Amino acid sequence: MDALIVIFITGLIGLFTGLLKKPTLNLIITLCGLAVAFALQLNYGFYKSPFANYQVLEFNVPQLYFSLLAILFTAVIVVGGFGYFKRDASHTGDYYGLLLFSLCGAICLIGFTDLFMFFLGLEILSIPIYVMVGIKKQDVLSAEASIKYFFTGAFATAILLFGIALLYGATGSFNLNEIRTVIQSGEYHTSYLLIGMLFMLGAFLFKVGAVPFHFWGPDVYQGAPEIVTAFMATVVKLAALVAFYTLFNITFQELGYFWIGALYFAIALSLFLGYLGALKQTKFKRLLAYSSISNTGYALFALLSTSHSSLASLLIFLVGYGFSTIALLTISMAISNEDDEIAAFKGIGYKHPFIGFIMLISLLSLAGIPPLTGFFGKFSLLMNAYNNHLWLVILALISSAIGAFLYLRLIVLSLTKDESDKSIALNLWQYLVLSICAIGILGGGFILAI
Amino acid sequence: MNPTDPTFGTSIDFYVILASILFTIGAFGVLIRRNMIVLLMCIELMLNAVNLLLVAFSTYYGKGDAQIFVFFIIVVAAAEATIGLSILIMAYRNQKSTDAGLFTNLNG
Repeated sequence: MDALIVIFITGLIGLFTGLLKKPTLNLIITLCGLAVAFALQLNYGFYKSPFANYQVLEFNVPQLYFSLLAILFTAVIVVGGFGYFKRDASHTGDYYGLLLFSLCGAICLIGFTDLFMFFLGLEILSIPIYVMVGIKKQDVLSAEASIKYFFTGAFATAILLFGIALLYGATGSFNLNEIRTVIQSGEYHTSYLLIGMLFMLGAFLFKVGAVPFHFWGPDVYQGAPEIVTAFMATVVKLAALVAFYTLFNITFQELGYFWIGALYFAIALSLFLGYLGALKQTKFKRLLAYSSISNTGYALFALLSTSHSSLASLLIFLVGYGFSTIALLTISMAISNEDDEIAAFKGIGYKHPFIGFIMLISLLSLAGIPPLTGFFGKFSLLMNAYNNHLWLVILALISSAIGAFLYLRLIVLSLTKDESDKSIALNLWQYLVLSICAIGILGGGFILAI
Repeated sequence: MNPTDPTFGTSIDFYVILASILFTIGAFGVLIRRNMIVLLMCIELMLNAVNLLLVAFSTYYGKGDAQIFVFFIIVVAAAEATIGLSILIMAYRNQKSTDAGLFTNLNG
């Protein structure tokens, strides 16, 4: 709760210091705020918070790590996008403010114990992103992406709310513990509960971007600025997945017979449609969007197993996936790839070996090659589901092979010799971000040891 | 049931059916209309169907928390409409139309 307040106030300050048009000052304030929030969240439970009696948000050990990861991702994205912010000095404050407000929503979604907080968190998360997607006002693609994201997002919100209303009608409470007690006692109105749950499942699949509600993903990822794409692919996805887990795997656990079938279908389709769609893309951000659909399919494996370790495997998976995505988008920004063509990555490993190396490890991690973090994440997720859902695991392995082909093709492209003499220069901030991402990708597997 | 009966319409099912009908009208509107201002109105209709349902359930259970939830929904709907209209104006400046079907630059 304290971290949430710190982030919110930092966002407000960032919004106003944006008027001074001093991007460096803005960056320092934002990073200080995020560092304080990180420290407060790290010491959560070790000191007496003035908001200790606030019951609506509760962070246990796995949720705490997820919130720390969300803050870390935001900090890395803010630093990595600094070059971009500086070019667009009149909007720097808006970017920082909106990113931090959205992060507030993400933290609400990670720690909620009540459907009030859940709904508010989801909206606080989404509304700044509607704005950020369309922040390049003169750009036709950005406007189109914003429109598409807004209408599909608002539609999904309405569906989610109808689900929440039916859930309230079935159980008479908004509190997750009370709902769970009612479900366990069996004294609920069955049809309201099941229909409400189905509505909520649909809205969630939309928010995490899984098939059959994935259609907005590629368009929005392509139209949005790289920073916003990176934020949507990491922090938003992380928060939505954790909320999905809390609500379905913990609260609705007894009704698993009903929703697991639908989830099965969504996972199996996501695994394949994502990678198959990515194969024919020529735009880089679009390709990343399709590959993120498949990665969501892997992440959803965490919901299939009720064991406590599934949340830990989700954490490792998201560390690997998130840092790889941020690294790739930072590289795309660094080579000033305005047209977003994949061909622009040709020969990048020759021109700038450091970028080549980072690109290599992040793609290998996404493909799930050991000893990188992506491998450990995928491995532990699939291991948890192995006993009860063997066929789905086999499908995941097949889709993994398609994914490996996709990523290896990008690696080959980046290592092919290219005659054009377009030079690439990284600024200090981008070196810092890529190094942090490299540490995350190479060392994230050690979280398993903790 | 006889409409002159004083208990007519007090069953919760009536409210659920009414809210579902309103919600379905809104959802179909979003799916088939192309004018973006009408789309916004349809989403608003869906949210109001939810409000109606929540208030009905609140009375049914004799608890106030669902009515408070309705206030939250009203506030969020206002925020969404604000953002939505400003995005719409931005898109209109680029496209010179409010027809949602004309946005076809991003595809594939």
